Amino acid sequence: MNRGASIAWRAVGAVFVVFLLSPLALVVLFSFTSRAQSAFPIEGLSLKWYGEMFADANFAPAFWNSVVISGTVGLLSAIVGTMAAMGLARLEPVRAYLVTVLICLPLMLPPLVLAVALLSFYSKAYVIPMGRQTVILSHLLAFLPFVVLVVFARLRNFDYRVVESARDLGASPLRAFFTVTLPIIRPTVIGAALIAMAFSLDDFIITYFTIGKGMTLPTFVFNMIRSALTPKANAVGTLILLMTVGTTQIALWLTRYRG
Amino acid sequence: MRERTAPYLLLVPALAIFGILFVVPLAYFFVISFWRMLLFAMKPGFSLVNYEQTFALHLPTFVFTLYLALIVALLTTALAFVYAFLVRFKAGRWGPALLFIALITLFGGYLMKIYSWMTILGIKGVLNTALLTLGIIDEPLPWLFYNAGAVVVTLVNFLLPVAVLPIYASMRGITDIELEAARDLGAGGWRSFSDIVVPRCHTGTMAGFALCFLLAAGDYLTPQLVGGKVNMIGVQIGAQFGGIYNPPMGAAMSFVTVGLSLVVVVVVVSLLAQWRPR
Repeated sequence: MNRGASIAWRAVGAVFVVFLLSPLALVVLFSFTSRAQSAFPIEGLSLKWYGEMFADANFAPAFWNSVVISGTVGLLSAIVGTMAAMGLARLEPVRAYLVTVLICLPLMLPPLVLAVALLSFYSKAYVIPMGRQTVILSHLLAFLPFVVLVVFARLRNFDYRVVESARDLGASPLRAFFTVTLPIIRPTVIGAALIAMAFSLDDFIITYFTIGKGMTLPTFVFNMIRSALTPKANAVGTLILLMTVGTTQIALWLTRYRG
Repeated sequence: MRERTAPYLLLVPALAIFGILFVVPLAYFFVISFWRMLLFAMKPGFSLVNYEQTFALHLPTFVFTLYLALIVALLTTALAFVYAFLVRFKAGRWGPALLFIALITLFGGYLMKIYSWMTILGIKGVLNTALLTLGIIDEPLPWLFYNAGAVVVTLVNFLLPVAVLPIYASMRGITDIELEAARDLGAGGWRSFSDIVVPRCHTGTMAGFALCFLLAAGDYLTPQLVGGKVNMIGVQIGAQFGGIYNPPMGAAMSFVTVGLSLVVVVVVVSLLAQWRPR
């Protein structure tokens, strides 16, 4: 490759990196400003907007809701998703493909349509009042496909001879799963569950329509943005980014380097 | 017998979630799209009036939404193709870092990105401040914000990683051996790009396009927060479940949105099926 072309590609790469990262970097940067606007110039650094965030009466419940919802979604999607992936791995390829497409159908709808359809269903179904539980169910539907896909992909290059040896030595299927299969695929399962958690933490649209009266961190920020633009929204945003990027980091590390 | 039923038993919880939380709600949603509102309550029945109203009242919004989503999806897919090409063929040791950035931005901050574009494009925003400080402009540019352009920029920004991943996944399947073989047979750089790279990435590119189009056409927040008077169908659908409170109408609008979006996706994908850059 000639030198000019190489420099041109480098410039293109740099433009992309700035375009992708600067919105997120600015959210973090403005959260530390001492001014009352999320804008340049930044006259001094301060943690006062984080203080304001903690002082907000709505912050603690929203934070707790986010933690409970994403934690439950992560745990349940890990269990249900791993079971489904193990089931798929035992089906003939064509059937496994068809079932996978079926399970992934919710991903083909715009999240808004999914959200309002679920809202209509919950408000009619009477059985289950709207709140954290309805958000958990909705997120389970929306983000379970990712867990199934990731764990299923791992099982496709899984050496079943180790499980067969365990079975030949007299282990029950359940025992073989917990002592042989699970320890081998555990990093992938945890990684996939963390991906579901990151999506759950970050989700606004489905949560907004299905939570009823409560708030999570994203809907908390949304109410803030609608009323006044202060760096307090940046402080909450930075916290959300820290949580989603943090879980994603661990997930990538687990699924790529160990799985 | 046990071995044959076991796969299905393992799939029961996942399929139950799919059935109870997807099939049933969507079926119910479809049914209520034929109901009417009477004195702020839904009245069962069968009427096509919601669909008639959807077209009578919202046709311009639909046309504009699909047009904007098409621009966004084509732009995003083209940029994502360049990005994936850069990661796979041009970036060398920086490739993994670029891919990592795409992954991080995919997972982090849907709402925060939109919010950040408000602080970038606004009248006192980062862009105006920078241009003023550099002396390029004397007064803030009001046309950066609260218009269709701002919506396009914001949507492209958060959809780019969504399109990069499937395109990169299919580009990774192209081996250096194929490209070397093409070169040995006398193909120039452009020829092997148009005859090998582009066709081999077809599935990934179309998947990226379809995802971006559906997400852009159904977006709820972006037009509200950075679009100003820009009216997109997602905002109108959301309103049917809030202030206006007419779920049957919202249901009809949702199905029309999904239907029309699928039509556009199918048309574009079949138009592009045989296309090669020449």
